[in-house]
Amino acid sequence: MKKRTLSLLLAGALTLSLAACGGGAAESKAPEESKAVESAAPAESQAPAESAAPESKSVKVGLICIGDENDQGYTYNFIRGKEAATDALAAEGINVEWVVKYNIGEDSSCEDANIECAEEGCQLVINNSYGFEPFMLKVVDDYPEVEFVGCTNQGSWNDGKDNTHNAFANIYEGRYLAGVAGGMKLQQMIDAGEITAEEAVIGYVGAFPYAEVISGYTAFFLGARSVCPSVTMKVKYVNSWSNATEESNAAIALADEGCKLISQHSDNTTPATAAESKGVFHCGYNNDMTGIAPKASLLSCRIDWAPYFTYIIKAVANGESFDQDWTGGYGDNAIVVTDLNEAIAAPGTAEKMAEVEKGLADGSIQVFDTKTFTVGGAELTQAFALDTDGDFAPDSEEAVFDGAYHESYYQSAPYFAMIIDGITEE
Amino acid sequence: MTGKKTPLIRLAKRDAMPSWQRWAIRLAAIVLALLVGGVVMAAVISPDNGNFFRRFIGAYATVLDGALGKKTAIRQTVKNFIPLLGTALAIAPCFKMRFWNIGAEGQITAGAVCATYFALFWADKLPQVPLLLIMAAAGALGGGLWALVPAFFKARWGTNETLFTLMMNYIVIGFVKWLQGGPWEKQPKGSQQIAQFAENACLPKVAGVYCGWIVVLVLMVVMFLYMKYTKQGYEIAVVGESERTARYAGMNVGKIVMRTMFLSGAIAGIVGFLLVSGANNTLYDGVADGAGFTAITVAWLSQLNPFGMAGISAMLAVLEKGSDTLQTRMAVPVAISDVITGVLLFFMLGCEFFIRYKVIFRGREEKEGTK
Repeated sequence: MKKRTLSLLLAGALTLSLAACGGGAAESKAPEESKAVESAAPAESQAPAESAAPESKSVKVGLICIGDENDQGYTYNFIRGKEAATDALAAEGINVEWVVKYNIGEDSSCEDANIECAEEGCQLVINNSYGFEPFMLKVVDDYPEVEFVGCTNQGSWNDGKDNTHNAFANIYEGRYLAGVAGGMKLQQMIDAGEITAEEAVIGYVGAFPYAEVISGYTAFFLGARSVCPSVTMKVKYVNSWSNATEESNAAIALADEGCKLISQHSDNTTPATAAESKGVFHCGYNNDMTGIAPKASLLSCRIDWAPYFTYIIKAVANGESFDQDWTGGYGDNAIVVTDLNEAIAAPGTAEKMAEVEKGLADGSIQVFDTKTFTVGGAELTQAFALDTDGDFAPDSEEAVFDGAYHESYYQSAPYFAMIIDGITEE
Repeated sequence: MTGKKTPLIRLAKRDAMPSWQRWAIRLAAIVLALLVGGVVMAAVISPDNGNFFRRFIGAYATVLDGALGKKTAIRQTVKNFIPLLGTALAIAPCFKMRFWNIGAEGQITAGAVCATYFALFWADKLPQVPLLLIMAAAGALGGGLWALVPAFFKARWGTNETLFTLMMNYIVIGFVKWLQGGPWEKQPKGSQQIAQFAENACLPKVAGVYCGWIVVLVLMVVMFLYMKYTKQGYEIAVVGESERTARYAGMNVGKIVMRTMFLSGAIAGIVGFLLVSGANNTLYDGVADGAGFTAITVAWLSQLNPFGMAGISAMLAVLEKGSDTLQTRMAVPVAISDVITGVLLFFMLGCEFFIRYKVIFRGREEKEGTK
């Protein structure tokens, strides 16, 4: 959006200066949209038939991105997944030809991009942003033979169509794990007498009061509390997925209110730098932030899209169907935590994390174990997962069973949206 | 005359040139522009696609094939074409009047907001045809009133309309941003999107594209007749030629300025309605997507002739869609379409200069003569 505003301004100024010259021939051209960095999708493909192994297959895949890899965050994470999946599939004799559309808006340009990919022969089109889905869904009926995926959204898998899919990973598991590292640090500070037990407060910079965010910070909090029982958490919303200044302001305000550890569900690295400037610790999201905040950032967690991409592309190559709603967890290698910042992490953190990781992978640790938290002072015994009547209040599918709330069990997009005791929203 | 004081190159205004000569110059400019544009494209296309000449030809073949090669491609091209022509028609009367309306972008958006209000809150109460008509009327009124503000200030206090209309853009675009994240945001909150319209608030498709193309083609004819054969069209032309003449002739210039701006804004507002109801089925801050600025170019290049505008709009629409396909097939950056368009405009505007002026080199004035 900023780029567009800038280009409007430039175009306007240009026109202005020309028109002001009083000439009859004063005009200009607005660069419609400075989709400046549009880098190359690997176009070469189609291994010559005679040189290829007999079962060599080729798949053409469209990937529609809201940004480009320069964001070092959200889209960069998808591009990493794309590259890893390409390598993994090449080893199995599946050749992937990618058509990547960068810097697509959550508007009708997304519809155009989906049409373009489908028309150019993509057998599979992946939309990487939540806001793409409504525009993607306008196109799917025209191309029944093409598979469409709306990542992180929830409107496709149960829409009654065969060629629409959703996917998300259990990022709450990654957040739980990051919470363990953060909690270890807080406990170390308590044990060393640097802070009292009551002063162990986490500040969380959230994008929106939205199930995906609430589920994430609850998991982070529970991870921290599993190793630091006295911890509490404050949440501040910036009401934007990406607003570097507001994210920084929120982190600074939280630190000023006494938070000793900052974490975030927002796109920028500014909460990390704000934490560093305030002398508190930080756990990041989407990308390693230890480089820019070496004295604050403990680690980050992110989704690894490569296993999913590999799975669906292989399915398409073999002419098989694949899950309409896919959820990947630790066991699927879909969740990654970045390297622990050993210089500042509490001793023993790596060992503890390895233990928790194992527990998450084999299912012996449930993130939303109902014995570990209360809502309104009482243990959670009943909660619906899905909304079926469109009022945005869950009304079907019991999520609480076997002693845990089952997040991302009925659909890949998170639905845990309760405020548990110990967390306050501001 | 051949003294040292004579500059090497001088410019002199030309006498009127025969029409065929003017068009020959323009044609030559387009051919030259396409040559230069082709060189740029060939330079960025990977050498895997053959030698330079092959890449040059291949680039244009891909652009044409991508824009016009298939029925679905043509539909997408027409979708690009609609707002360009519509907006160029909207600003034409203003420019004829020498009123520099740089605010079509905002007028489109203002019209889109008003149309969207009815699409969101009246769709369950009204059947399709009356709803669409009300949305169109609301769009026209919204765009017209938005344009009337700078016109009023210009007529009353002589404010600079160029700056005024430009600044009005940012206000309404910011307002839409607020609507998107605020009162009109769809449930559940967090998407920063306004919900997709109900079916009866969407324009029907004709020949695979929303029927906005019929609207703008009709508008094109109406605008041609309005400018050429009506009293109001004549008044606009007179004010554009000389405000004083208009005053001496007893015309109320302020009234004409406001009336024309309202008309201009209203047409832009209708384009806004077409975009939200036909192309996007929702409202967002980038709804105008630069059409308000590109249309200025379209209007000028066509010498404010409505049929010329259709031709230029079609050419730009083909380039836009074709270069998207070029990116898909040959991994050329999408920004290349902006470069090609820029080259094209540069040459075409440049040629207007050579139509108006001639260049005289030192020592040649005896033969050419100056005035």
